Amino acid sequence: MRTIINSVKLFWLLLAMPGIAILQGWLTGRIETMDMLHPTGEMSARLMVAAMLIGPLAGLLGPKRWLLWLLARRRALGVGAFAYAIAHLVFYAIDMGSLEAILGELPIASIWTGWLALALMLPMALTSNQTAMKRLRTAWKRVQQLAYPAAILTLLHWLWIHDGATAAYIHFAPLVLVWLLLALRKLTKSQPFPQAGV
Amino acid sequence: MRSLILAAAFGLAATAALSTATPAEATGKVKCQAGPQSGWKNVESLKAQLTKDGWKVTKAKVDGGCYEVYGVLPTGEKVEAYFHPVSFEKLYVAQRGKVLFRKSGY
Repeated sequence: MRTIINSVKLFWLLLAMPGIAILQGWLTGRIETMDMLHPTGEMSARLMVAAMLIGPLAGLLGPKRWLLWLLARRRALGVGAFAYAIAHLVFYAIDMGSLEAILGELPIASIWTGWLALALMLPMALTSNQTAMKRLRTAWKRVQQLAYPAAILTLLHWLWIHDGATAAYIHFAPLVLVWLLLALRKLTKSQPFPQAGV
Repeated sequence: MRSLILAAAFGLAATAALSTATPAEATGKVKCQAGPQSGWKNVESLKAQLTKDGWKVTKAKVDGGCYEVYGVLPTGEKVEAYFHPVSFEKLYVAQRGKVLFRKSGY
């Protein structure tokens, strides 16, 4: 039982579950195409933030068991974020109905930020495998660091599309918090307290 | 140090987004003080009027005390629009968050 729960494949399946549920709703006509955009986008952002939180949390809290468990599943979270972003794009394209309409919306700030975020996620997703990791060596890490601008663009895309600013802030706040805590710890470590009388 | 820069970048991005956002609530971009719903005109007649004007109405519902309509303008833009539920006056039209029209005072 423990082996099944700890299986990475089960974790992939868990990540896919919300997607399967809404896809079923869409296929049966219960969910309209335009209403597929928000849940797919939100799920993508949620998994992106989750994947990006693990590293800083490990830095803050040390090698905790539950963090190591999550660390072994970080790739699944990242690739899951990309898969939901692709689903988001697919439903956007279906909703728009034509290439002309899609291109017409491209200059809008809320739209090009989404496209750019997805473009940055693409090389990350393509290199999220052992072969790429071995071949790229140190460059691999630089590719994965595209997550930072991608996250900023995703937040802007969400805020500018004007579809629930509070939810957007709630999703991204944990990232800002861990980064601030890490920065604070670095600052307090690098600056020793002033000596008395100095 | 990089964490600090990243946090600052996030803060700046959020501020930039907030400054361009409209001063409305998260759900209702516009608020209508239109009295009880018993005095409102039927949403179906709004949809019919818009269709007559060349709109393609996808969905219409109540939001912020107004009628919120999702649809396509005669010029082809996919928009979200708000109308006063008593007068059917157009109050707000936005394309993917970009405000195309906002009645002053709303």
